[in-house]
Amino acid sequence: MNEALSERKQRFEERVLPHLDAAFNLARWLTRNDHDAQDVVQEAVLRAYRFFDGLRGEARPWLLAIVRNSCLSWLQVNRPVELAGFDDRTVEPIEENSPETLALRQCDRRMLNEALAALSAQFREALILRELEDLSYKDIARITDVPLGTVMSRLARGRRLLAESLQAISNASQVHR
Amino acid sequence: MTREEAGRLLHAYVDGELDAAKSLELEAHLAGNPAARAACERLREMSAAIRSRADYHAAPASLAARLRASVPAVPEEAPRRAALRAWLKPAALFAAIALVAWVVAIMATRPGDDERIAQEALASHVRATLGNRLFDVASSDQHTVKPWLSARLAFSPPVADFSAHGFELRGGRLDYVGGQSVAVLVYQRRQHVIDVFVWPAREPRVERTVARDGFNMEHFARGGMSFWLVSDLNRNELGDFARLLAPTP
Repeated sequence: MNEALSERKQRFEERVLPHLDAAFNLARWLTRNDHDAQDVVQEAVLRAYRFFDGLRGEARPWLLAIVRNSCLSWLQVNRPVELAGFDDRTVEPIEENSPETLALRQCDRRMLNEALAALSAQFREALILRELEDLSYKDIARITDVPLGTVMSRLARGRRLLAESLQAISNASQVHR
Repeated sequence: MTREEAGRLLHAYVDGELDAAKSLELEAHLAGNPAARAACERLREMSAAIRSRADYHAAPASLAARLRASVPAVPEEAPRRAALRAWLKPAALFAAIALVAWVVAIMATRPGDDERIAQEALASHVRATLGNRLFDVASSDQHTVKPWLSARLAFSPPVADFSAHGFELRGGRLDYVGGQSVAVLVYQRRQHVIDVFVWPAREPRVERTVARDGFNMEHFARGGMSFWLVSDLNRNELGDFARLLAPTP
């Protein structure tokens, strides 16, 4: 192996591999499966290595954009149904009335995870990037390749849908009691 | 500030994305409006609930180890920024793959090409076994071999392990056959090495068996991929392996 190459590999490992958890977390939430997430992340990281010289600025959003595209390509091939309506880029009005708190307070870890996983992919990815990766609207817009306004409306709509679904789960469990 | 505007800005406010002037305006609105204040509180709780209770899936340690091992140890062509942009637009990527597949389909269907491809595949197999350079990526794990190859080719070859049937996956390499880069999957049966050459081709269903210079070759096309198997394994067992790779429905 020549020196320039091993140096490139070393720089890549130092800058990009620390964000492997973020990459896996996003892929795991988008594919909803450990095994598929591993395959997608591995493919994405190798792609990232090829395009490493194109990296300017922060590595995490850059890597997440590649992972996210790999996930989408993977879903297109393996589960096209889940992407129905994904490319809807219209900015929707944000509803002012936000959900009741009761269901939120009662929900446990399992209920919340189920409700999040049940959201359609564009809302799920926006919420994961915002709440679990703590990324700015600007980074989310870059990663998901949509305008800022769309990020905002997706977050708003995703939170409302999540609250509704938690409410539904909570109602259902009350009936069973 | 109107109710509509306040409702619109509330998420950005809770997410800390509002500039100072707008934040002040919104806070003034919230101060005089208990319902809006309650809505703001609910949003904060929602955010906190996701952060504290949603699963964060950290990468398994085995994945990190596998990546360190598979980040290439062979030289790559220097990628350009334009290449990144093309990748970021899946439509462009798809078009590129379609074009490559189309060109390959045209090339693969030209008469006389089969003969040339058989020659080249055989030559590649002999070179690899003589030079003992069987693979660029040595692994019996299909989840290592497949992404390694996919990252370097314009297509993703099907990779499976058949150790249960006595055909053990050993690794993969890249080669150049029929005027294009192809994937070579390397399997082993007892002491015999089997090279499986794979590339995308829109071929009609064909099945051919060729014997040359003491080597056996099997050729078939399935699922948009063209397969050439080369080995010094006997003809029957190589035929069995071809049927494993392409089960007849």
